[in-house]
Amino acid sequence: MKLDQFLERLCTSSGVSGREHLVSSVVSDLFTSGEARGWATEIRSDALGNLVIRKAGSSPSAPKVMFAAHMDEIGLIVTEVKDQFVRFDSVGGIDVRVLLGQEVVVHGRRDVPGIIGAKPPHIQDENERNSSVKIEDMAIDTGLPADELAAQVSVGDFISIKRDLTALRNSHWSGKALDDRAGVAALIECLRRLEGYSHAADVYCVATVQEEVGLRGALVSAFGIDPDVGIAIDVTHGSMPGLDDSEAYELGKGPVLAIGPQVHPRVLERLKAAADEAGVRYQTEPSPNPRGTDTYAIQMVRDGVPTGLVSIPLKYMHTSVETVCLKDIQETGRLLAQFVISLDSDFVEGLKCCFKS
Amino acid sequence: MKDLVKRLTSISSPSGFEDEIREAIKSEVKDYCDEIRVDALGNLIAVRRGTGPKIQFAAHMDEIGMIATDIDEKGFVRFSNVGGVSPHRLFGQRVRFTNGVVGTIGMEKLDDIKELNLDKLFIDIGATSRESAQELISIGDCATYLHGFDDLGQRIVAKAMDDRIGCAVLIEAMRRTEQCQSEVYCTFTVQEEVGLRGAATSAFGIDPDLGIAIDVTGTGDTPESRRMAVSLGKGTAIKVKDQSVIAHPKVKQLLVDLAERNGVPYQLEVLTAGGTDSGAIHLTRDGVRSGVISIPSRYIHCPSEMVDMIDVEASVKLVSLVMSADISEALQ
Repeated sequence: MKLDQFLERLCTSSGVSGREHLVSSVVSDLFTSGEARGWATEIRSDALGNLVIRKAGSSPSAPKVMFAAHMDEIGLIVTEVKDQFVRFDSVGGIDVRVLLGQEVVVHGRRDVPGIIGAKPPHIQDENERNSSVKIEDMAIDTGLPADELAAQVSVGDFISIKRDLTALRNSHWSGKALDDRAGVAALIECLRRLEGYSHAADVYCVATVQEEVGLRGALVSAFGIDPDVGIAIDVTHGSMPGLDDSEAYELGKGPVLAIGPQVHPRVLERLKAAADEAGVRYQTEPSPNPRGTDTYAIQMVRDGVPTGLVSIPLKYMHTSVETVCLKDIQETGRLLAQFVISLDSDFVEGLKCCFKS
Repeated sequence: MKDLVKRLTSISSPSGFEDEIREAIKSEVKDYCDEIRVDALGNLIAVRRGTGPKIQFAAHMDEIGMIATDIDEKGFVRFSNVGGVSPHRLFGQRVRFTNGVVGTIGMEKLDDIKELNLDKLFIDIGATSRESAQELISIGDCATYLHGFDDLGQRIVAKAMDDRIGCAVLIEAMRRTEQCQSEVYCTFTVQEEVGLRGAATSAFGIDPDLGIAIDVTGTGDTPESRRMAVSLGKGTAIKVKDQSVIAHPKVKQLLVDLAERNGVPYQLEVLTAGGTDSGAIHLTRDGVRSGVISIPSRYIHCPSEMVDMIDVEASVKLVSLVMSADISEALQ
């Protein structure tokens, strides 16, 4: 399997938070009937739809490691169907300013293609030209007449942004939902590298749901798995015009390891050691605000979980032209595989007592 | 049914002080359940035994209110909010403390109404000094709006309709449902208005297979209102999304199918601001499939919240249908 082909399949599937079944099938099909058949010991979905892919460890007292990458994407939801137009609100942190002119798919009784129209500049008054349009004033046009639209589309139907994954130069890829399908692809790459490899640790790769609306899937899946170590694989801001170098990470220079209150110091240490062992170049990121990724939810589950956060640099987050470098995804997968190989029960025991004097 | 709503809305029980409403609900439901218990935080749980999976229904019995923070030398009481109380709705209101003491809310002189916030307001309980005020109330005592129930015919209005109307719907559904296929846990939760707290702990204790909150939702049918495709009188509202929960697609479908098959009028609901008990229930343990049955309400968190009996009746029917239905499809 070529990773870029799989990434394309992932990113062109729809899976707005709360409606992840389609993208979930893309991942599970890969393991049940696709190229990844045999890579996992067990694959299941939990009550909220988290997809849990387990690869058993060789040791009976194996430590459990959970990797979480969220498969949901930001999107829209129908709030009103009136005349020939569909009104909507956001699901997750959509940047309202980049919505005008987008193509969308309304997931009604059937999928209905649509566009978010905009008032032409010629007929905007000065006030309109100088301010951004509010989401409640936008509308989707599907071309359907009012009666057919009402028959196809209801309040509460989900809407995803339509955008192909585009190959830019230099292994860069651009599209929607790379936050965090890039992370899901890194999990697949990790399992590919572990295929046929005997390792002590029990590995749970979780494609989580509803991260964009509040880390909800990670919270319940971590409760169900009850891991000894949890690592979220998400995206962080890539260098782009208008962003200071101290807040952004270069694409192509490898995974970014977060340092902050949500990261256990020994987990970070072990991630760095695994990177060095495997020869993976990495960057580090101070992350003082811990609430932005699945790490935060996992850390607080049950009586607490030692956690880490590995991020893939991504430009233009929460737009439909999110951009990543494929090499960073591959290197992230390689780092995670080495981390698994390096885990043993002594390490987990050490986590429990490292704060004792 | 209107009498029940009148009884429940006349009680002052702000979040954290639900003793009086709990006792009232207990006496309403005790003859219609197999077991009744109160958990550590004060949630009232009435159980209907059954052989199937476990369903938790949750209607919160607390209401928004005010809490005394300071009493000045002249006996004026400064206060803070308990839950979503807006200063713009408070000036001139009559309030009642849980011990029965009544007061009215006054306001400092303001040059511009935009300066209005809770710090500019105070409760006047008729005291003439700090000492005489302290004989009536203490710091930490809580009050609620003091507004009566009025029957407008098809529509009714009262304070604390959020969520005593949900409690009334759940009580009435328990009374009307003869056979439950599932094991039904009717939970009257505490502290919803301050962060879904009672729902979180009661769900952990019950460990249900399916969670359904019963609560009010907003409408978009008043002059120049925020756009929302829910109106009074068009039926119960089946929630798809709010800020706290995205209804599980199979639970939403279960509710839609039951309503369609039994001719219960319903509307689909997307609430852009606000949350409810299902927000806590669905995140319990390793996840609980959840949905919400909403009663459309105008003027939520105002002293006069209005609902329509058509919607109330439809909500009772839908809750009762869920209690007696085979829900296995929604759990697969």
